[in-house]
Amino acid sequence: MAMLTGPDVVQETGTRLDESTMRPWQTVVWNDPVNLMSYVTHVFREYFGFDRPRAERLMLAVHQDGHAVVAEGAREQMELHVQAMHDYGLWATLRQAPQ
Amino acid sequence: MTGRRLVVLELTRMEAAHLAGLVNQFAELLDASGPSSTDPAIARLVPDAYADDTEAAQEFRDLTERDLLDRRRRDAEVVLESLHDPATLPGDAEPGDDALIELVDVRLDPDLLQAWLRCLAAIRLVLATRLEIRTEEDHDVGDPRFGVYEWLGYRLDGLVNAASDD
Repeated sequence: MAMLTGPDVVQETGTRLDESTMRPWQTVVWNDPVNLMSYVTHVFREYFGFDRPRAERLMLAVHQDGHAVVAEGAREQMELHVQAMHDYGLWATLRQAPQ
Repeated sequence: MTGRRLVVLELTRMEAAHLAGLVNQFAELLDASGPSSTDPAIARLVPDAYADDTEAAQEFRDLTERDLLDRRRRDAEVVLESLHDPATLPGDAEPGDDALIELVDVRLDPDLLQAWLRCLAAIRLVLATRLEIRTEEDHDVGDPRFGVYEWLGYRLDGLVNAASDD
């Protein structure tokens, strides 16, 4: 018996959340000409616990595209991440995910 | 993850003394700038968290600026402490004196190492603001401060690599 499968039909609850409150928040790290690529990779590994390939991929995205989304979730959580990035000297902002 | 081991940084006494001088200047700059400083170098250490919402950015700043700048001060303090003995030169040392190029070890446990990394990165940010570095190509060979900037980057890069497990 499939005890863990969910119901096929999600019940309409009648409360429709505003679309803008549904969109998650993002921590965005921006490229700057000062922080070393090795240091940015180190920060992503040290703080977020990313493995090296993931940290390097994000660092390169920052470097080449000018910015990268490094985390997504609740606004309060993203504020903590942004403060942590500032603590390392990285240039970071938070925003609501674009539509 | 990065390593939890001890990292030993080898410097000449002269280099240690130069570094201590820079960190000292950084600490003085922090002490001289109160909250909401208009100094662009300090502003770079506490950037806007919201790009398009000045009110939210100000609120965030009110909540975090003091902690961020206090952290810079504490980092500078512990880095200076670890440099105190290595940076001590004999009072009668002359240029070219062997004492200046004597190699000394700075032993960095994991916490101290993180403080060093943050501190060197922050000093580079301040220096880059003073040098008006806007792109990676900005470089003036005639300005010795660029040499200092490059040297800090070299040392920071070495420490980052030493901090990594692989």
